Amino acid sequence: MPAFLLIVITLVAFYFAYRFYSRYLAEKVYRLDPNFVTPAHAMRDGVDFVPTHKHVLLGHHFTSVAGAAPIVGPAIAVYWGWLPALTWVILGTIFAAGVHDFGSIVVSARNRGQNIGTLSGKVVSARASTLFLLIIFFLLTLVNAVFGVVMAILFEKNPGAVVPALIVIPIAVFIGQWAYRMGRSIVIPSILGLLLLYAAIPVGQAYPIYVDGLAEAVGLSVRTTWIILIFAYTWIASRLPVWVLLQPRDYINGQQLIVALVVIFLGVLIGWDTISAPAVNEVAPNSPHWFPYLFITVACGAISGFHSLVASGTTSKQLGNETEARFVGYGGALGEGALALAAILACTAGLGAAGDWNAAYADFGAASGGALGHFVTGTGHFLSNLGIPATLGATFAAVVVITFAGTTMDTGVRLQRYILEEIAELAGVKALVGRVNLLTTLAVLIPLGLALLPGGDSSGGKGFAFGRLWTLFGTTNQLTAGLALSIIGVWLLARNRNPLAALIPLVFLLFMTTWALLLNLGDFFAKGDWLLLVMDAAIFVLAAWLVVEAFTAFNRERRNPSAGAEES
Amino acid sequence: MSSASVVDPAVRGRLADGRVHQVILVREQDAQHSGSGCCGRLGERHTALGGAADFSHSRARMEQVGEIYRALAAAVPDLELTVVDPRNLVWLYPAVWRAARANGAGVFAALRAVARAGAPVAVVVDGNTLIRAACLIRRP
Repeated sequence: MPAFLLIVITLVAFYFAYRFYSRYLAEKVYRLDPNFVTPAHAMRDGVDFVPTHKHVLLGHHFTSVAGAAPIVGPAIAVYWGWLPALTWVILGTIFAAGVHDFGSIVVSARNRGQNIGTLSGKVVSARASTLFLLIIFFLLTLVNAVFGVVMAILFEKNPGAVVPALIVIPIAVFIGQWAYRMGRSIVIPSILGLLLLYAAIPVGQAYPIYVDGLAEAVGLSVRTTWIILIFAYTWIASRLPVWVLLQPRDYINGQQLIVALVVIFLGVLIGWDTISAPAVNEVAPNSPHWFPYLFITVACGAISGFHSLVASGTTSKQLGNETEARFVGYGGALGEGALALAAILACTAGLGAAGDWNAAYADFGAASGGALGHFVTGTGHFLSNLGIPATLGATFAAVVVITFAGTTMDTGVRLQRYILEEIAELAGVKALVGRVNLLTTLAVLIPLGLALLPGGDSSGGKGFAFGRLWTLFGTTNQLTAGLALSIIGVWLLARNRNPLAALIPLVFLLFMTTWALLLNLGDFFAKGDWLLLVMDAAIFVLAAWLVVEAFTAFNRERRNPSAGAEES
Repeated sequence: MSSASVVDPAVRGRLADGRVHQVILVREQDAQHSGSGCCGRLGERHTALGGAADFSHSRARMEQVGEIYRALAAAVPDLELTVVDPRNLVWLYPAVWRAARANGAGVFAALRAVARAGAPVAVVVDGNTLIRAACLIRRP
């Protein structure tokens, strides 16, 4: 199967989905009204509420939702074969993510631009607001744990990527001083910074950095050493003012995202690679079954609950015309799906051409622990189609993922700090309130503990529970999506509209998530992974809670349709 | 940066060929991240939970640019007024390029216009960057 054909099939499916299904959603489900005065106009202040052209808004929205997560999930999921992974990416994007992202903008815009967290308390129930907070707590814990492991794996397997990944830090700091202190344009410095970063790639190849000596000195494995170093870095980075490192690095990340997407698709088009990986893989015994694990392994890229936070937090406040929610929300979801497609291509066509696909995906441990390595190798092959040596291309891909993951961890730890403080306040633990260093330390130590979990995927002999951590992360992301879909569904029901477009993906996601959580419970119990067992049980309770809240809210609206939520 | 200085009477009305003036107000959105993936922020929850302090400099500039926005919108209703984050480079750079070229700039001048526009805070009128400012608010 030519890889190019997968691009064509996916893009054609996305085109028809946008053309017909999103129009159906716009006209029959959300009933967009071109005369509706959006919050951007009603509360226009030029600060948060700004009527914004749809192309500008799509740019903001897409760069906010795109990142490393839609790469990792599909890179693991091709273990079950490219066909199930691609099918879920296409169908999930069209029937779940599109409905979810689009609907989150519409419901928020109809509620004065309020955020999904706030709306959950208003539309579903007051308890749902606490539920939201707890889901986010688990989600952030798992995000930070998995991305810590992702970075450690990449550093361990691509020691040539260490120098360029380190170079980004002084470049970003310089750009921050240049821009935020001096008020200069960032365009030239950020382009030069990007070129400098790419120039550092061959330098990194020539001078790879290993931590084997340090690991041996402290008696830890290389990966454990990297994980600890990465979390130590994250503690420091998350205590720095955001303009020093986090914000200026954003400019480099934005450029990297575009460059990576362009070179991957260009590499496929020019190389005309075929996919040697199986359409449906005969997986090793004792592997997780694709049903239901596929649907929580690929969260971002098929449907991600975090999109509702971006859609409702900022995008809805800048919507110039309600009809443009279709272009921004549904279009943004399709863009994320395209990123997932790029990851699938790299891990099938690219990896298959570069090496032995079957060995790389021999079992679930190898598939999950090595997922990012497979993406990096595959992307390296695509770059070789463009005349760039594959090893340099692989390091380029590693650097892209590492910088994305670094930003995710920095923001994730900051957010977790706020969440911990909020939970401490709710629980009356005053010793934690206002103690920023202590809160940051906790926000780092909790995911660090998870990232260092021993045992894990014994089948792969990786010594890390990365695959299972990732699927747990997927469950929390899907629960967030479930909460947003509940709000959208209740909102539709309150207006006597057919809620099936939101209800079907909601039921599907909740079913798959709870099923996977139950299977995990048995698995963790059998293997004696008590920490994961407790975490899985807690997430299962949240899932059950969400089911009860959603059912109660739907029942309430069915019996006594109300406004559900006020409209501006 | 004063909003009053931006509302110049010369800016009123349309260009000679009938096109409206295009003003792009460049400023960073607080708590916006590129490449942090779907896990970067919590929307307004982020601010409510304490993130406001992290991004107070961006917020202060957002509010200052908001003043300019409101002043321009009131004084020159015909303006094509856009607020954009400088990290939205897929939109910003081509938009400044097109505006500069449409207003007679040569290739190098248009490139220079693009290079000048991507600051944390900038006011770009018809492809010309009139104001750039540091994002950090210096307190006495």
